[in-house]
Amino acid sequence: MNVLGIETSCDETAAAVVHRDANGAGEIRSSVVLSQIEEHSAFGGVVPEIAARAHVEALDRIIAAALHDAGLELAEVDAIAATAGPGLIGGLIVGLTSAKALAWAAGKPLFAINHLEGHALTARLTDQLAFPYLLLLVSGGHTQLVAVHGVGHYERLGTTIDDAAGEAFDKTAKLLGLGYPGGPRVEQRARSGNPERFTLPRPLAGRPGADFSFAGLKTAVRLAAEAASPLSKVDVDDLAAGFQKAAVDCLVDRTRNALAMSAGTRFTALVAAGGVAANKAVANALQAIADDHGLPLVLPPLELCGDNAAMIAWAAAERMSLMPSGADRAGDADHPALARWPLDSLKPPQAAA
Amino acid sequence: MRVLAIDTTGPACSIALADFGESESVRGCIVELMQRGHAEALVPMLDRLFVEAGVAAKSVERIAVTVGPGSFTGLRVGVSAARALALALDVPAVGVSVFEAIRESLGDQAPPFAVALDARRDEIYLQDFPAAGQAAKPVVVSLQDAAGMIPPDCHIVGTAAALLGKDRGLEVFPLDPVAVARAGSRLDPALSPPRPLYLRKPDAKPQAHARIARV
Repeated sequence: MNVLGIETSCDETAAAVVHRDANGAGEIRSSVVLSQIEEHSAFGGVVPEIAARAHVEALDRIIAAALHDAGLELAEVDAIAATAGPGLIGGLIVGLTSAKALAWAAGKPLFAINHLEGHALTARLTDQLAFPYLLLLVSGGHTQLVAVHGVGHYERLGTTIDDAAGEAFDKTAKLLGLGYPGGPRVEQRARSGNPERFTLPRPLAGRPGADFSFAGLKTAVRLAAEAASPLSKVDVDDLAAGFQKAAVDCLVDRTRNALAMSAGTRFTALVAAGGVAANKAVANALQAIADDHGLPLVLPPLELCGDNAAMIAWAAAERMSLMPSGADRAGDADHPALARWPLDSLKPPQAAA
Repeated sequence: MRVLAIDTTGPACSIALADFGESESVRGCIVELMQRGHAEALVPMLDRLFVEAGVAAKSVERIAVTVGPGSFTGLRVGVSAARALALALDVPAVGVSVFEAIRESLGDQAPPFAVALDARRDEIYLQDFPAAGQAAKPVVVSLQDAAGMIPPDCHIVGTAAALLGKDRGLEVFPLDPVAVARAGSRLDPALSPPRPLYLRKPDAKPQAHARIARV
């Protein structure tokens, strides 16, 4: 089956066509992502109203481009999917409303997809991974450890109690004047820095559980930077390195705890997803954990780490494949956009139909 | 020409389907008052309209949508839906400003008049339609400035009429989606694209203060 996916939950306007065969193998037929980095860079972060305005201006062209790249007419796709949450409500409404209108006019089933489920199932698109696996989702908006037991069956082992990991990277970059988006720039400067020079905290590390906290680390970076100001290039490199090391240590500590918490579950792999998973220091640290547990580490390719519509189309394809044929999907025509929509509140598709 | 009109810019979710040719024939029209929830209501409402009218979506030849000014979220619901419908049905979509839709809904009533819409924060969205010549450029102005910009003998129409001390205005509420369809049938899609007319910039200020001083 071919599914057209739409993603507008943050600052990427994206559309994609994904094919899933009867054996569960996936193939991305097209994936178009228009980043709004330019629009937001002057503000040092995503401005919701600017994002919503950019989505509505671009989305129909992006959808047309995704169909064109896939060599398909809208009439030839089997379903239409859009991110319905969680995310910035203005953008979600643009994408979901467009998908509803497309699905209605073309007479196709509509899937309102949870953005986090898209990230959670990406490893099955790229690697046909079997359930269950442990997912570390680390992005600008989310930081979670999730036991993925099946489609629609997610057990959240830990989440951030304040900032997301990617948010901490962005805010550190802003503080150090490195520009936006901050993740890649902090990583680049950290390469030549000394991570031991500044003493920075590892919030929650050593404590029980798998929750995250990055607010205290962010504040500590600010205080250290203020104490050292005016900052030389070496100071900036060392602060970036110190921050990155502390953030990685937190991710490692919590991931190890999550594995210990689910010792009774025979995971097939450790999977990372989200923009921060593209960070080499994070990936190396996760590889070490996976090696210790005798698990493969599955990292999505760079273009699937960040927000994209292929994962949304894929999540819908996974759901559709589990539904009794002919099941009615008109139910999502009035599905609301949800700024908050916890992953563990989802149900398997049989129950939803 | 069969036109599907959508208006979600204000406190109603409204759609109409009408044929325009030598005469005008309204195939269906639904107006539901709501402060929020347009995004959830719109597509089920479309479904109902077409079932009741007994026509297929494929018979639509043009989409007309109000582009604002109005609720930012609301107008994006309509514009997103219109652009997606245009893509799916391979027909043009045309944007109709709320000012233009109100002018259309007044029918043969002669100018001069001004359309004034309550923009909140003591501001008004204003467009002047003089007796002769082109309509003025739509603007957002303070209540005070608006009063000075409108000639004393000018009729004021729209939700801000009362704010400006006039008693007219209520007769155009809620906006008539058939008027949106009619205006949309006349306008050139190339000159009136389905692009939001916000009139206000987003509330956001560049941040320079957050960074620590560098050597």
